[in-house]
Amino acid sequence: MNRIRHFRMLPAAALLLSGLPLFAPAAEEGGGDFTRGAQAWSIHCQRCHNVRDPKELRDDQWKTTANHMRIRGGLTAQEVRDILTFLQESN
Amino acid sequence: MNRSLITLAVGAALAAPAAAQTEVEKLRAELDELRQEVRAAAEWKDPTTLVHMAGYADVGYEDAEGSPGSYLVGTFAPIFHYQFNDIVMLESELEFEALPDGSTETGLEYLTIDYLFHNNAALVVGKFLSPLGQFRQNLHPSWINKLASAPAGFGHDEAAPNAEVGAQVRGGFGLGGHRANYAVYIANGPAVELGPGGTELEAVETPGLNADEDGKKVVGGRFGLLVPGPRLEFGLSAATGEVGELGAGGYTGITRDYQAQGFDFTWRPGGFNIVGEYIRQEVGANAASTAPEEGVWDAWYLQASYRFPATDWEVVARYGEYDTPGTEADREQLALGVNYVFASNFVAKATFESNDNPNPGEEAGDRWLLQLAYGF
Repeated sequence: MNRIRHFRMLPAAALLLSGLPLFAPAAEEGGGDFTRGAQAWSIHCQRCHNVRDPKELRDDQWKTTANHMRIRGGLTAQEVRDILTFLQESN
Repeated sequence: MNRSLITLAVGAALAAPAAAQTEVEKLRAELDELRQEVRAAAEWKDPTTLVHMAGYADVGYEDAEGSPGSYLVGTFAPIFHYQFNDIVMLESELEFEALPDGSTETGLEYLTIDYLFHNNAALVVGKFLSPLGQFRQNLHPSWINKLASAPAGFGHDEAAPNAEVGAQVRGGFGLGGHRANYAVYIANGPAVELGPGGTELEAVETPGLNADEDGKKVVGGRFGLLVPGPRLEFGLSAATGEVGELGAGGYTGITRDYQAQGFDFTWRPGGFNIVGEYIRQEVGANAASTAPEEGVWDAWYLQASYRFPATDWEVVARYGEYDTPGTEADREQLALGVNYVFASNFVAKATFESNDNPNPGEEAGDRWLLQLAYGF
């Protein structure tokens, strides 16, 4: 019975372990690109909502907002860095 | 006379360096003060920990058939973000809802710790909005939703799952020149609620159960593809597992098979925004239950909106249907709306909902909704 229960926990363990440092954290990768960011901003933001003006938020506020949208919109870390570069240089 | 002049001249000559010295000291003190201010400002220019509050709120007026018109406070939903470097972010949305008697109900819409571990993936653990479909996880906030109401069947504990407690991996990647996004999860899963008599299935409860009473997990996910270009996205969702049965006295100890499937799309040709979604939840039969039959809850909607060029006016039309194992909640709904977009995050909406129940003997009232929605 216990063995069966342990097997049932395998999917949960696999999902949790998949997040352990097998990969480099996104922070160690390359910087953002303004042009790519402008394109990604116009494509991805409008998938769900009206486009927000870069001047609506400060640089640091865009950082948390962009990462929030990374989770919501299924963006890559590189796309987030590109969009951030665009927003932070346009506000 | 000459002696006085000489005395004055000598005095002035001696006083001048002393005054200059005082001025220099004063300037030095001011410079030190400025340096401290600049250092303090630079200290918080790029901290490793960031805190930010976002969210949305809506207020309005509702005039439903058979009820007196009422002003109402809809939802206040602050979202908290705490981020450390680009490694981890805590996200939490609270939901404050004002009830008709003036009291306030508080809910935890979601609370997750997101480990941003890879360019194409983030591990999201905690209570999260269901990744199945698109309305519940992305389109329901009032400043985003083009109409002042959710489509029939896409409200809480209806056909579309609301939230889960578990772990998911989600992200995006390129696929053959196109753009894809995905979410896969394992979670406690929903519960199926029996009706008052215990002989019928009432609803699939999907508030994000914080305990897995039946001990059976649900796994699922959504795959989205932007094809042939970035203006068109298709999404496929599915989930499978088992759910516990919830009677008047709590869990009955009976579990049932659980399946969910969904399809969604968004399309933005020109000034149009067209979205559609189908979602289906099925709970299997169990002969040991007092309500042994299987149950299916499904709903769909198709919505088109158009923003008139060079204006702030927008028109919206949506048609949808909601079908349940019972008859009372079934709906055929047509909703029409006119919006004035003050700003990208501040919208005034006027929505008319025509509701019908297709079952003999059942009725559903129409209603008008006026709403001001603000995303911050």
